[in-house]
Amino acid sequence: MIDILAEAARITALGECARRPARDAVNLPMINNWVEAIGDTNAVYVDEAAARVAGHPGLVAPPAMIQVWTMGGLHGQRASGDPLGQMIGVLDEAGFTSVVATNCEQTYHRYLGHGEQVTVSTRLGEVVGPKTTSLGEGWFVTTHNVWYAGDEPVAQMLFRVLKFRPGTAIPAPAADVLRPVISHDTAFFWAGTAAGELRIQQCTACGSLRHPPGPMCPSCGADKPDYVLAIGRGQVFSYVVHHHPAVPGKTLPFVVALVELNEGVRMIGELIDVDPASVQIGMPVELALTRIDDELTLPFWRPSRAAR
Amino acid sequence: MSSIAVGAELPAQDFPIARGDLVRYAGASLDFNPLHWNEHFAKSVGLPDVIAHGMFTMASAIRVVTDWAGDPGAVVEYSVRFTRPVVVPDPDGATLHVAGSVRAVRDDGLVEVDLTCTVEGQTVLARARAVVRVPATSGSA
Repeated sequence: MIDILAEAARITALGECARRPARDAVNLPMINNWVEAIGDTNAVYVDEAAARVAGHPGLVAPPAMIQVWTMGGLHGQRASGDPLGQMIGVLDEAGFTSVVATNCEQTYHRYLGHGEQVTVSTRLGEVVGPKTTSLGEGWFVTTHNVWYAGDEPVAQMLFRVLKFRPGTAIPAPAADVLRPVISHDTAFFWAGTAAGELRIQQCTACGSLRHPPGPMCPSCGADKPDYVLAIGRGQVFSYVVHHHPAVPGKTLPFVVALVELNEGVRMIGELIDVDPASVQIGMPVELALTRIDDELTLPFWRPSRAAR
Repeated sequence: MSSIAVGAELPAQDFPIARGDLVRYAGASLDFNPLHWNEHFAKSVGLPDVIAHGMFTMASAIRVVTDWAGDPGAVVEYSVRFTRPVVVPDPDGATLHVAGSVRAVRDDGLVEVDLTCTVEGQTVLARARAVVRVPATSGSA
C-alpha cells in the first residue's frame, strides 16, 4: 500500500526544482505557428512596426503561449527531479492512472520579447484526496510553475490536475424522484401544487405569513392557520450548486436555491433551466410546477422570463 | 479609461474548432498527447471522443479580451476552471462561444473581465477571469 500523503509531503518538501531551460529562445517561427493554429491575427506578435506602434520595444510573444517555450518536444522526458513527474508516478503506481486538467491560473509579470531565453521551475503544492468525482475516485494535484528570464520572474502558473482511477465513475442516478413526506401540516401545500397553486400559510389571528408550514404561528402562537396564494415570483436569496453525492432522478450538478418570494417568505427549491455558473443572488425567478404523477406535483424554479 | 463601465459587455465571439485545428495546435504547442487527435485513444481512456487541449480553449477564449483591449501585452492575469472537456468530433467539430463583461475597474486602472465560455450552451470554462491593463486609446468601444 502506497502512502500517497507521505509521498506528497516528501516531494513538497523538496521545494522548487532546478530551473529547466527552454529548448529555443522566444522566436518568430514558433509564434507564427502558434498564432496560426489559434487563428489569432493580432499584428503585435508578428509585425515589428505594429508592435512599436502599440508601445512595445519590439515584437512580443502571446502571453498565453508561456508554457509552450518550455515544453519537452516530441521526444521530451521529464527530468527525474521534476515534482509533478514524481507525484504522477506515485499516483500511477497506486492505480490512479488517468488524468484531466481542472484549473489553470496564469499571471504575466511582463510580456516576453523575441530572442529571450526562459527557464522554468516547478514545485508541488497541495495534494488532496481521495475524492469521489464524476470521473471516478481520484486525487487533485496542484503544481506551481515560475518562468524566469535570467533571474527575473516573468510569469507564473498554478496548474491543477485530477488523477483518477478509470472505471470508478459514479453510476448514472436512477430515474425516479425523492418524494416529500406529506403530513397533516403540509397536506394543504401539496394539494395546492397539484391544483396548480403555490399556497403560503397565513395566521388567522395576526395575519403573518410563514413557510415552511407548521401548526402554530411563530409570531403570536395562534394555532388556526389558513393560507393565501403566492403569485409564484421571487428572487434567489441564496443557493448551492450540488455536485456530490448523486441524487436519484437528478443529473449532476444541479442548483438548490433559497427563493425569497415577492410575498416575503423564503422557500427552498431546485432551480432549473439554468447554467449553474450563471446563477446569482438576486436573480429573478418564477415558479415552474412539474407534475410527477397523479399524487405529486413538485414546485421548481426557473429564471424569470421577463428578465431573460 | 473613464469610459469603461462595470457591466460593459465585450464583443462576443464564436470559435469553430475542428479536428484539424487540434492537430495544428498540437504541433505548435508541442503538446502531442494523443487524447487531442486520436479518436481510438480518447475512447479507450473513457472519453466520448477527442477533446481539445485545455490550453487551446483557454488561449482561444482570451482573444475576446485581447481583441477588445487591442494589446495582448495588457493581460496581467488569466485564470480558468476546466469544468467540461470540449469534445471535438470529426468532421463536425465544435463551436466555442465566448462572451465577456467588465466585472470591476480597480483604483489602479486595471480592469477585471469575466468570461463565459460555452459549447452548445454548456459551460466549459468556469470562473474564467482576466485582469487587463487597458490602453487609454482603446477598449472603450
